[in-house]
Order: sequence, then C-alpha cells, then structure tokens
Amino acid sequence: MPVSSIVKLEKLVGKRLRRREDPRLITGTATYVEDVKLPNLHHAVIVRSPHGAANIRSIDISKAQALPGVLAVYIGKDIVGVGTVPCGADLPGLRRPAHHILAQDRVYLVGHPVAVVVATDRYIAADGADLVEVDYDVLQAVTDPEKALAPGAPSVHPEWPDNIAFTFHQNGGDIDAAFAEAEVVVKQRITSQRLVPNAMETRGVVADWKSNDRSLTLHTSTQIPHLARTLLAGMLGIEENRFRLIAPEVGGGFGSKLNVYAEEALMGWISMQLGLPVKWIESRRENFMVTIHGRGHVDYLEIAAKRDGTILGLKLKLIQDLGAYHQLLTPAIPTLSVLMMPGLYNFRNIQAEIIGTFTNCVPTDAYRGAGRPEATHGIERMVDILAAELNMDPAEIRFKNFVRPEQFPFPTATGLNYDSGDYANTFQKALDTIDYQGLRTQQAEARAAGRFMGIGISTYGEICAMGPSVATPAGGWESATVKFEPSGKVTVLTGTSPHGQGQETTFAQLTADELGVPIDDIVVLHGDTSIVQYGIGTFGSRNTAVGGAALFYALQDMKEKVKKFGAAMLKTDEVIFEDGHCLDPKTGASVTVQQIAGAAYRGIVIPKGMDPGLVVTKFWEPPNFTYPFGAHIIVSEVDPETGQIEIKRYVAVDDIGNQLNPLLVDGQLHGGAAQGLGQALWEQGVYDDNGQLVTGEFMDYTMPRARMMPWIESSHTCTPSPVNPLGVKGVGEAGTIGSTPAMVNSVVDALSPLGVRHIDMPMTPEKIWKIVNGSKA
Amino acid sequence: MIANSFEYSSPATLAEALGLIADGAKPLSGGMSLIPMMKLRLASPEHLVDLARLPELNYIREEHGELHIGAAATHHDVENAPLTRGKCPLLAETAAHIGDIQVRNRGTIGGSVAHADPAADYPAALQALEAKIVLRSASGERTVSTADFFIDTFTTALEPGEIVVEVIVPVEPGLTGTSYQKCLQPASGFAIVGVAARVRRDGDNFGPVQIGITGLTGTSYRATAVENALTGKPATEETIRAAAAHAADGVDANSDLHASAEYRASLAVSYTARAIRSALSRSA
Amino acid sequence: MKIAGTAKLPFTPERAYALMQDPLILAKAIPGCDALDKTGDDEYRLKMKMVLASLSGSFEGKVRLTAPDPPNSFRMLVEGSGKIGFMKGEGLIKITAAPDAGVDITYEGDAQIGGTMAAVGNRMIDMTARMLIKRFFEKLASEPA
Ligand SMILES: Cc1cc2nc3c(=O)[nH]c(=O)nc-3n(C[C@H](O)[C@H](O)[C@H](O)COP(=O)(O)OP(=O)(O)OC[C@H]3O[C@@H](n4cnc5c(N)ncnc54)[C@H](O)[C@@H]3O)c2cc1C
Repeated sequence: MPVSSIVKLEKLVGKRLRRREDPRLITGTATYVEDVKLPNLHHAVIVRSPHGAANIRSIDISKAQALPGVLAVYIGKDIVGVGTVPCGADLPGLRRPAHHILAQDRVYLVGHPVAVVVATDRYIAADGADLVEVDYDVLQAVTDPEKALAPGAPSVHPEWPDNIAFTFHQNGGDIDAAFAEAEVVVKQRITSQRLVPNAMETRGVVADWKSNDRSLTLHTSTQIPHLARTLLAGMLGIEENRFRLIAPEVGGGFGSKLNVYAEEALMGWISMQLGLPVKWIESRRENFMVTIHGRGHVDYLEIAAKRDGTILGLKLKLIQDLGAYHQLLTPAIPTLSVLMMPGLYNFRNIQAEIIGTFTNCVPTDAYRGAGRPEATHGIERMVDILAAELNMDPAEIRFKNFVRPEQFPFPTATGLNYDSGDYANTFQKALDTIDYQGLRTQQAEARAAGRFMGIGISTYGEICAMGPSVATPAGGWESATVKFEPSGKVTVLTGTSPHGQGQETTFAQLTADELGVPIDDIVVLHGDTSIVQYGIGTFGSRNTAVGGAALFYALQDMKEKVKKFGAAMLKTDEVIFEDGHCLDPKTGASVTVQQIAGAAYRGIVIPKGMDPGLVVTKFWEPPNFTYPFGAHIIVSEVDPETGQIEIKRYVAVDDIGNQLNPLLVDGQLHGGAAQGLGQALWEQGVYDDNGQLVTGEFMDYTMPRARMMPWIESSHTCTPSPVNPLGVKGVGEAGTIGSTPAMVNSVVDALSPLGVRHIDMPMTPEKIWKIVNGSKA
Repeated sequence: MIANSFEYSSPATLAEALGLIADGAKPLSGGMSLIPMMKLRLASPEHLVDLARLPELNYIREEHGELHIGAAATHHDVENAPLTRGKCPLLAETAAHIGDIQVRNRGTIGGSVAHADPAADYPAALQALEAKIVLRSASGERTVSTADFFIDTFTTALEPGEIVVEVIVPVEPGLTGTSYQKCLQPASGFAIVGVAARVRRDGDNFGPVQIGITGLTGTSYRATAVENALTGKPATEETIRAAAAHAADGVDANSDLHASAEYRASLAVSYTARAIRSALSRSA
Repeated sequence: MKIAGTAKLPFTPERAYALMQDPLILAKAIPGCDALDKTGDDEYRLKMKMVLASLSGSFEGKVRLTAPDPPNSFRMLVEGSGKIGFMKGEGLIKITAAPDAGVDITYEGDAQIGGTMAAVGNRMIDMTARMLIKRFFEKLASEPA
C-alpha cells in the first residue's frame, strides 16, 4: 500500500468535545441504582434515631413484623458476624469507636440507624418502619466541637470523656526562631462550617446474594468500587472473588461516595439472610442526616512576619469536628489541611496541632477539596489580614512571598515537594485581566460616594493526583486495560470510577490519538469489579493525572505490541506506527491496526516471543502528587441597608497543566466555583444544641442555584506537570479551593473602611447587616 | 420520602368534590405544599380530592370591573394571562415571584391562599388589592375580605368542609402604579419579607395608597401606618423614607435561621420603601 | 429556642393562677389537647393532636406544674412525642395584677423540637410556637371570671 493513502487523523486531545455521556444523562436513560430492578426484589427502610444522644431502653418490633408484606425486621443485636464500618486512616493514638451497622444500645447522632424493615414494596417497608417502637432514654448531646472540648461537656462516647479522638502535631523548620524574629504577628480565629455534599443522586444499594454460588452482587452508588468491595467483603466475611460490586451510573459524589457505609454492608447481610435481592434508596432527608458532611473546622491561626511583608512562619491550632464516628477517611482530612497550609508561599517554619473532636453529628469526611479548601481559606485570609495590618496592598504582599519559578521542585515546610509553577505569572495575568489598578481607583471613588465595593484576591495552590501509594491508605496507583477486539474496535477499562467527570470522553480522545482509531470505535468501561481490573477509584482530582497516565502507558505498550504484529505481517523488522497504520519505511507498505487486530486474534501471524491477542493491562504508580495553582479575583458590592452582596466580576486564571478537553475543564471549574461560593455565601450544616440537624432539607439548606452564579471569566496559564507523561495536574477541586477565600476577601475588603478584618462563613446578608449596623452604633 | 397510603378522587364536578370534602376528604390542588408534607409523613390524609382538574375552578375572567380568578388557576396562569397582566399587574407580578417555574406550573392561587403560609407571596398583593375571597361548602357560599380571611400562621377563616373557590381582585384603573418587592429566603425561595404597594398620585402628592406585607409575622397585613404617612404628602423620597419606617409598627416579627426578628423588621422597612418608590414610578 | 412574651387575662391573680393549675381548664386551653390525666402530684399525662396547615400529628407526653408560688408564679413543662417528632417547652409563668384591670402574664422559657418536624420546619417553629401560646391564653381568657 502506498504511503500517500494514509490519511492524517485529526488529533482529538485538547479539543472541546462534548461528553459522550451526556445523551443518556439528559434523556433519563442512564441506569442508576434506583433503576436496577431484579425479579423478586424486596425493599428496605431504615428506622433512625430522632435524638442526638440517647440510650436505647427497648425496641418493640412486633407491630412491624405483623404488618402484611413485611418479611423481616432486624435490630442491632440480630446482626452477628458483620464487621464494623471501616476507617482507613491511621494516626498515632487514634481512638476508634466501634461503628456498628445498626445501633447496639446507644445512639450517637440524629439519623443513627436502629432497625431495618424489609418488605415486598417500599411503601409497606416505610409503614413497617413507622410501627417500630423505640424507647429512648434521651441524653444531653454536644454538637459544637469547641463546646465538646470544654470541661464538663457531655461525652459522645462515655469511654472517652474528653471527646478527643486524636491530637496530631506537624512541625517544620524553627517556629520559635521565626516568631522571635517577627516584627509583626497577626492572629485570627477562622471557621470553616459544616457543608452537606448533596450529590444529585442520593445513595442507594441493591444487594443480590446467590447462596448456591456463595456469591454476592452489590449495586451501589460509590466512587470506589474495588476498594468498597475489598472492605465490604471483609465486613461480610465473603470471598472477594465471589463478590461483584457494580457502581452503575453515579449521579455525583463530591467525596461523599468515597466511602463505605453501614447501609452497603447491611443490605448485603440482609440479602444473605433472606436469600433475596433487597434494595435501599436513601431519601434526601437521610442524605442530609447520614451521608458524610464536609469541612467542620475551627482554626486558630497566627502569622509571624517582617514589616516589609515577608512571612516568616505560621502557627495553627485546628479543631476538627469529626462527628460521632470515623467514616473511611474522617481523621485524615484535617491532616491534608495542615499539609497545604503554606499555600504558595515561601516560608519554611510551621507549627500545627490538630485536635480531632467527637460530636453528636454525622461524621465529616472528604468533600470536594477535602482539607485543602480549609487550608487555602485559612492562609489566604491570613495573608490579607497581614496586608491590612501592614497597610500593604494584598497583591503586593503575595508577589513578595510567592515561591519563585527557579525554586522548583520546592520542598515545603510540611514535607511536600511542589512539582512546578510560576505563581507570579499566573497572578499577574489575573490582575491584568481584571485591570486591578483601575479597580482600585474605582473603589476609591465608590468609597468616597459612601458605597462598599470590595476586591478579593485568592492565590491558591492545591495537591492533586492522589497520590503516591505511600501517602494513600489503600494505594495510590491506578490501572488501565486496553483491548483490541478482533474487529479492531477498542475497549478501555479504567480502574477509576468516573461519575460526571467525563473520562468516557477524554480517555477515548486520548486512545483515539494514540492508537489512530476513530473515537466512535472506542468504548471506555468502568465501575464493575467483574469487568474491570482492580483500580483505586475516583477522588482527589486523580482520574486524569493518575488514571489517564496509567492509560497512556498501557497505550504505549499496546502500540509496541501492535508494531510487533505489524512488522510480522509486513515481514520486516522495524515499522513506524502512525495514524492507525504500521508502515514499513523501506518499502512503503502498510497495514491498518484493524487488520493487525484481526490477525492477532486469528493467530496466523504470531511474532516471535509473543502470544496471540491484543490486550494490555498497566498498573501505574505516580512518583509524586501534582500541584495545580491559580488566582481568583472577585469584585463585589455590599448593600449596607440590607446586607446583600452582589458579585460584580469574577476572574479566574487557573494553571492545571495540560488539558485533554477544555470544555470539561470549564465545567469542572464552574461547578467547583459554585460549591466554593456556596460555602462563602450560603451553605451551612447547622445542628442545634440537642443534636437536631436544623438545615435538614433544601427548605433551609441553601444550595447554590444557577441564577445565583456570577459570570466566570475563566482563562489559564500552563506549566505542564513533570510528574506524569500527560503533563496534566487535575482540575476537579480547583474551583472550590480558589473561589471561597476570593469571595470572603472581597467582602472583607468592601467593609474594611468600617475596620472589618474578618468575617466567618457563610456571609449571610444578616451577618453583613449586623456588621454594618453595629459599626454605625 | 414515602407517603402513607391514601385514597384519591378526581371528581368531575365541584358539587361532587364538596360532598367528599364534607365527608372529611382533604382538598388537593397543586400539591406543592401538601405533597412534600405527605412524603415526609408530616401529613397523612386518608382521602384526597383533586380540585386542580375541575373546569369549574379553572378560569380567569372579567366581570363588572373585577377579575374573577378560579381557585385552580396556577401561578403560571396568573403570571401570564393577558387579563391579569393587563388589568391587575400587581397580581401577575407577584405570581412571577413565587418559587420556581415547576412550582408555578402546578401551584394554584386557591391552594396558596387556603394554605396561608406566613411567607407566601400572594397575601401581600391580596391585602393591597383589598381582594375578596369566595368560600364554598356543600351547604353554601360566602365571600370574605382578605383582611378577614387571613387570621394567623396557617390559619384562615375557612370552616371545616369549606374550600376557596375564587379570588376577586379589582381591575386596576390605568393611573395606579403597583409593585411587589420581595426579599427571598435563598434556600426555599419563599419571602423573608414581601411588600406589595398600590399608589395613586394626587397632583404632586400621594393619593390613596395600599400596602400589603407578607413574611414579617404570622400572617400578612395592611401597613396602615405607612399608608397614612403617605396619603396627602408630597411624593418625595423624604416622604417615602419617613413613611416606610412604620412598616413594622406594632408587629411581632418572626425569627428563624435566615433572619432574626430585628433584621426582618429592618428589611420590611427597606422593601416597603422600594415597593413605594417602584409603584410611584409606575403611576401616572 | 428561647420563648418569651406577655398576655393579658381578665381575672384576679388568684383566679388566673387557679385556672392555670386546673387540669380540666388546661385541657380545654392547650391547643389540640385530647386528654390530660393526673399521674402524680404535679404531673399529668397529655394526649394532643396538632393540626396546622397540612401538617398533622398526634403527640403523647406530659404536663408538669412545679415551683408553685400562688398567686405570683409557677413553672410549666409541656412535653410530647409522636411519629412526626417531639417537642418540649419549659418556662416560668408570672402573674401580676395589671394597673387597669385583670392580670399581666409574662412567660419566659426554652422550647425544643426534634425529629422530622425539626428538620423541615425551621422557618415555622417560632411563629407556630407563638401562635399556640396565643391561642392558649385566648382560650383561658374566655373562662368565666
Ligand atoms: C420549592 C417550593 C418553593 C415555593 N416557593 C414559594 C414562594 O416563593 N412563594 C409562595 O407564595 N409559595 C411558594 N411555594 C408554595 C406554592 O406556592 C404552593 O403552590 C402553594 O402554597 C399551595 O398551593 P397548591 O395549589 O400547591 O396547594 P396544595 O399543596 O395542593 O394544598 C395546600 C393546602 O391547601 C389545601 N387546599 C388546596 N386547595 C384548596 C382550596 N381550593 N380550598 C381550600 N383548601 C385548599 C390543601 O388541602 C392543603 O392543606 C413553594 C413551594 C415549593 C414546593
């Protein structure tokens, strides 16, 4: 075949392709757990504690059992031989409450499961649940972590009266010297309130035990199918190879499904007891009550600096509201905050203490950003407070302290090694985009006219691509399989578990480019442990940076294989692989990958030392995290009469390295910014002193809506990451991390003429109104 | 999120529906307030009678200088009908502020009025419009004024067995300017406070003015102190500010997570001023 | 949640005090009360049905009257629970002769609610509590002097 007939293929990486997932998602034809229907499916409804803390005196299930259609009612003591809910985090001296899948004799939070009713349909199960009578001896709850630490506070777990689950210290450099050298010290208490993740799809489980095969199939809405299978197999005492876990379409997770939950084990156990498939679908109200919350910090921060603005060191006391139990990573999340506390700044002295505190609330755990939004908010607020103290421009103080390009790889005070970056360049681009100097002039005019205009800056850094295995509890590598089918169609199996991120599209783009096959010939599968090789899953902005890198290497191996087959078919030693063809440069003869695939499966031409077939599996261990960064600037104006905040402009410049699909990058950034603004302005998970979750529904919990969002002027700089062959860094969490402090800094800046230095989130209109009015009085 | 089981009837005539209601069945209109309560099992009615499908309750028409709005008219109907838009723009504007598009497509004026949510939007406009509310039971019909209809938090003049069948509002003379200004609770979309104003000019002065306020306290009310401080006074910003300051006079303001009593009262003053300003600018 | 307020009753302090200690009268005045049965010196078993808007639910609990200081003040506790949640209110009720006629009542205390009601009703709790208290005193006021 002559060379000229090889058509150059258009490269797809870097193109703004629409997601291939979208048609099924927006036409309602995707299969979520709720859509899984099996013959003889039964339904479970869980009876939950209405109290924050109580001893269970007795439970009467007789009325529920008597209800026609009810098959079984179980309470805590019925559950034997099931392990407790696992926590994968390990810290020195960590106290681990036994987290049973149904309450034993005490409940620790509102929503604590105390009984489960299984019936022929969901309505009967709910009626049955209403008939379960639980007699509680109500105890005093404690829901505020600082109150929980106060002497004489009620104890969440009687065995640990001080409510402390752990204390953790991390020090770097010489903090005493830094503070001794300081010309100025600023201090601030900064909180990061509880947030409710609220994925659009609540959790749900369908368990199907086949006793003859001793095999369990569990459909569950999770971000980590393989890890969940390993952990649940352990809890249920079944063999991993007889346990198929399927994460079907997953309608969002944001970290809340990076977990193993009591209900997953409970449904597995019930199905094993009854020999029937059972389904449990979490109601929205349950989602508020018992799916993990995010954040929950009270931080005491101190910065030591010189009068010229040079930061010397930072002290942090972090009180983490853990909730009543540990979920999978609960105690580990605040340690991520400490790691990222230095932000983008060039100081080497740090002293951090974490006090992990039990409260009668639902556990906190990973929620978009997981520890880094809290850290970024802390450091970015403190830098502004320092600038105010020194009467410096907040932009100038940042330039002064940035890690410089020539310092990379940069070892931080907390033991990380930042991979690459040019922070000043990205920040300057943001300042230019928004015309910073012009804005300051406008602001002076606004102030002269009695208006409250603010300009808020956040220059954030974050840690992505979780992560090297030494730093990740269950391993931080990722896997990919690439298979040519005999027809030349390609199947990719990724160990990640995308649920909205769009890897069915981006991984197909990458595969199409590497193998030279049309994108429509490529299918990307994930989320089924019986189909996909072991993988770690989706969290910590790792899908592309770790899973994509694993795929890239698998594709390289595949190309090598294809070349060997191609060379054998062309009866030559060396071929060039290009645009889906193997080409003999000497003769100009070529074969297509499709022809090669057919031949490899027919087994007629098998190159020396090779086996038939075209399948490659690659497990890849990343050498480091990646460290995206960026600058977000928000211009706002406050109405002093009502306290309402208007966002006038939002400029974001993010450096996330290379981009496989900028359209999906935009989506991730916009969604992330919405969640970050949600924390800054609206969202709060509020418990009252008795343990009631007051914001337990969308009537009172303010989810950001599209109409509440500003226009985001988004652009990028690009310093490719040296950590992986794609040069990508990760973008899943960047928007959430960058937006929050920019918003708060903007409003604080607006109100700074009143002497305001800090405002805790969420900055509700009433809070602002009180600040403005208080200052008048 | 799973309701108790219940019986559902969709009768063909109003008379039939009233008969079922007399026997203890509960009316269902748009279901936007009732169904969420049922799904949470905070309400467990045994028998629902669907009013929303009754043609007899589904109309907006003009008669003798008044608009008659059937109880089953949806918020969307009221927002968009040429009759309401053209002849009672205050009501149409208010309807546009209710919830979101899905809620407006299903929720009804009869359901909203009967429910008497203290943060509902319509009551402010109905107070300002001095609307009449027509109630009917199996044994007869009566008409009550808005002021007499809304009694307290979720409490109205409806007697057991009685339903709202119609709301009657005046056809607005062309010279009147009206406006509805709402501070919304960002989570639910309900009003923290909502103020409806009807303003007529008398030369350079304010003529007759009606102000209705919702959200501030247990039920909607006419802000007569504000009205009195406007009528006959020069139509200036000064008058507006001074008058609006009386918006919360003598009112026991609500307090919740989203607004303390003090803040709510202050918002009532701000939004009253906005509503008057806006209505004034629309008056001729 | 703090609850505080005032009410007026057209009685002498002695009569007002006595009315509020009388279970038959309380049973009539507590909104939705179906039964109030004596179970101890100062304690009564309460059954009530609350119907408010489309919300409805039955509660069982108790009423306790303590710290008697006739005719000036006493403490009252009302507590109940049912399928839709639970509630508890406790406070001091003071009676003083009004300058014009009758008595001024001032009350001050704490109220809690829990369960489903608490999670969905935040914006209504305050108003509802106040309305129920108002109804209670209105009912009392309608008793013969
Ligand atoms: C997300 C959301 C946001 C909302 N935001 C707002 C808002 O911003 N502003 C606002 O004003 N409202 C808001 N609502 C409420 C909405 O307007 C409801 O539609 C309205 O309150 C009730 O009307 P309905 O027709 O849906 O009544 P239903 O829910 O069917 O009934 C409500 C109650 O009234 C009774 N009832 C119904 N019709 C009659 C009748 N004709 N006569 C006597 N009794 C009757 C029912 O038995 C029931 O007790 C919101 C609702 C939701 C779900």
